[in-house]
Amino acid sequence: MELLGRQEVWNITYDHALGETASYFFTQIRDHRKIFGRRCAKTNRVLVPPRAFSDETLLPTTEWVEVGPGGRIEAFTFVYEQFNNLPPPPYSFGYVLLDGADTALGGYFKGVDLTNPREAAEKLAISTRVVTKFAEQRKGDVLDFWFEVE
Amino acid sequence: MSGDRVGIIGIGQSNFRSRRDDASYPDLVREAVVPAMLDAKLDFDAIDAVVYSLSPDAMVGIGNAERLGVDAVGGRNKRFLRINTGGATGISSVTAAYYHIASGVCDVVLTAGADKVGECGDSQTVLNKIWDPTYERALPLGTINMLAMSAVRYMRRYGMTEEDMAYIAVKNRRQASLNLRAHLRKVVTIEEVMESRVISWPIKLMDCCPQSSGGAAMVLASERFIRDNKLDAVWITGVACRAETYWMGDRMGNNPTAEHADAYALGRSFEQSYRMAGITDPANQVHIAELYAPFSNTEYHAIDAARLVGKPGDSIQRTRDGEFELGGRLPVNPSGGTLCTNAIAVTAMARVAETALQVWGRAGAHQVDGARVGIASGNGGDHQIFGTMVIEA
Amino acid sequence: MAYRIRPAVVGCAIRPAITGRDRSLEEIIYDISQAALADAGLTIDDIDGIVVGCNDQFDGRAISVMMASGPVGGVDRDIMSTPSSSEHAFILGALRVASGQFRTQLVVAWSPTEASSMSEAQRLGADPYFHRALPLDELSAHALQASALNHVWPNAWVFAETVAVKNRRHAAVAWPSPPARPAAGKARWPLTDRLTTEPTTGAVAMVLAGETFIAEHGCENPAWLRGMGWATEAAFLGDRDLATAPALVEAARQAYAEAGVTDPTATFDVVEITDATPYSELIAYDALGLSPRSEIAARMASGWFARGGRLPVNLSGGVITFNPVFCTGMIRIAEIATQIRGRAGAHQVDGARLGLAHAGSGFAMQYQSAIVLGAAP
Repeated sequence: MELLGRQEVWNITYDHALGETASYFFTQIRDHRKIFGRRCAKTNRVLVPPRAFSDETLLPTTEWVEVGPGGRIEAFTFVYEQFNNLPPPPYSFGYVLLDGADTALGGYFKGVDLTNPREAAEKLAISTRVVTKFAEQRKGDVLDFWFEVE
Repeated sequence: MSGDRVGIIGIGQSNFRSRRDDASYPDLVREAVVPAMLDAKLDFDAIDAVVYSLSPDAMVGIGNAERLGVDAVGGRNKRFLRINTGGATGISSVTAAYYHIASGVCDVVLTAGADKVGECGDSQTVLNKIWDPTYERALPLGTINMLAMSAVRYMRRYGMTEEDMAYIAVKNRRQASLNLRAHLRKVVTIEEVMESRVISWPIKLMDCCPQSSGGAAMVLASERFIRDNKLDAVWITGVACRAETYWMGDRMGNNPTAEHADAYALGRSFEQSYRMAGITDPANQVHIAELYAPFSNTEYHAIDAARLVGKPGDSIQRTRDGEFELGGRLPVNPSGGTLCTNAIAVTAMARVAETALQVWGRAGAHQVDGARVGIASGNGGDHQIFGTMVIEA
Repeated sequence: MAYRIRPAVVGCAIRPAITGRDRSLEEIIYDISQAALADAGLTIDDIDGIVVGCNDQFDGRAISVMMASGPVGGVDRDIMSTPSSSEHAFILGALRVASGQFRTQLVVAWSPTEASSMSEAQRLGADPYFHRALPLDELSAHALQASALNHVWPNAWVFAETVAVKNRRHAAVAWPSPPARPAAGKARWPLTDRLTTEPTTGAVAMVLAGETFIAEHGCENPAWLRGMGWATEAAFLGDRDLATAPALVEAARQAYAEAGVTDPTATFDVVEITDATPYSELIAYDALGLSPRSEIAARMASGWFARGGRLPVNLSGGVITFNPVFCTGMIRIAEIATQIRGRAGAHQVDGARLGLAHAGSGFAMQYQSAIVLGAAP
């Protein structure tokens, strides 16, 4: 019994409106190398990345607060596997609580030798201090910055 | 509320495998539906409604693929809707079926679905697309590295080691070897797990679930229908669903409500299920647990969240002591769990199905002796939406 | 089979045409959820559970409920998602309230236009086994249904034009300052571009509550769920007689049985039908039992289905006016609820006490639902 197959590729491009809040965040990174969070009035928490409203209180956030460039590592991992359409391994990324923020921001970690994950894990242990670095050429997206151990 | 309960009267599952080139996607659904209907001893005429279980369409490669499953579930001209809560879809579907009956509108409901993950070239590519395009899509987030970060925090908070993770993989594979339906049934050792290649540290290949193809189906009925027709059943006595924040960074930092190392909303969901079922001391009142854990480390926080131990982190030592395996006091994932079989669209339904089979005394070689009260859970999204159930004989 | 607890709609918010790029999709979802709560006079703390209806392919997200869970108030709450259609989110929400285990539900649906091609996104719904190579998007499916109807009813195309004119005239009343003026859609024989409408971005949200909660909180003018029916056609268009809608006949049968409706031609004060094209409306008149086909010519000539007529249909302007594709079904339900609650403003039917909402979704209305709402429980 001959079994046939059929190749299909899903190919749709989306143009997502980022809205005012995210647009401000990215233009500040692109034009001024600054990172901002938004404060929730009820809890006073500074949410990074910023959102127009807090999903806990469902209230609009009220003011822009500059955060970083220093921060501490909250989580990390090292990827050694190639996944389609994701970067070539090895690489490290995770979350950083920037100074002045109450929630952590995702980004790549650079400048760590990933040959031995257990050793690298000690270098990037949770609570390690890091600093935000910015790309020379910035487009206004998450890849404009990354984190390096201080 | 006796007389008003919702029972499970039929169960069907595929023998899960990776590729199924011999079957189309609707064929896999049918493969589970037929045994479920036979088990329930009903014709399709008796079905009042169908709840279709299907998570990301992209995995199957067909938009709104449930439409193709209509005939496989005998759904023409019947009530029909589809549920998608990511990995929790299967348990959410059983939950939705439960409400069809608890509302008073339906007496008999079929819930079914299937996945053909092996056919999608790379599920992590698809699963990268669950993150928002605004902030996080450009990061190489996938479910594996998301839960690797949970592992890193759990290690920090509770001292879990990579060997502790490997122990879960070894335990579940051993249990899966007794389960004819499981996908990965080959027994492994701690050394083999530790030497398997690192995918996203600390998660290694053997700490990961497989991508499985296959279907699952269940038939639920009202207590009135069950009594009137003198059918055999087990009962859903507790059911709940809870979500936590979508933002992973909000589960870290200063005083997060939901800590990423733990499973906050899973705990909240169990609280609600236990309250409904009248369970006040789960560690001593529950006999078997099928807890959704696609990566070895996540079984620990699931045990914690189900309050099968006194406080978070206690699950590690108690697992190493043998308490939570077949032959132990309260077996967790005696089927092998999600770690050994993961057809995403129905994985969480399989947790319910396995729990039901256990309290029904029908689990075969992986039966937990004397089990009468069982719990099941499912996780969806970026560790975000959690469904739980209590099932009793 | 009676509901354990009878549910009612106590708040709605409808935005069928959202323009501008100042709000992201998540912010739009937040806005509509907050608006429905405000309309109900409630806050998120009063909400026990949520059901959302959204489509991954339109949203560009592999599990759209994930990011949407925050804006709808899903954090630390019970939330489910029905990607099959927006009306299914309403139905599941109603079942949850009817069970007595939830005092309230918030149901939300949305439909963005961020995909480079809605048509390509819809085509992904065709199975890869036999149909993906065909240009089978929703428009093609509607066109096939139109040609099937023309075949058995040679004057259907005339009535389709009349229905389009009727609904657009209704829109002029309902929307004196419309939020947008969507362009004509595409033509696809036998559909002319006058009979289709360019998709818009839209969102809709409704608050459901049970009779006990309503009594305790004194919610104003609830629109009570009197009957609800839903069913699906077969998957392959070729397995169906596209000139008919047996799934809608069945859905109507379920709803009418629950509501005690025996003569649908003379029972409802107001009706909303999902007129993705006017042919859908014509098919629904028949399948819902609103008019025998033989009477339609005379009734249309006399304005029976028009504003001021015996059985006004689509006073909102219908889908031919605004087409936020995925939420068109829930919007019909919300429109009827708004009529029953006496809040429809310029397009209100005086003394509307019993209304019928029809929702049809998927290729050539594969999913059919009928919802009966009334001023009395």
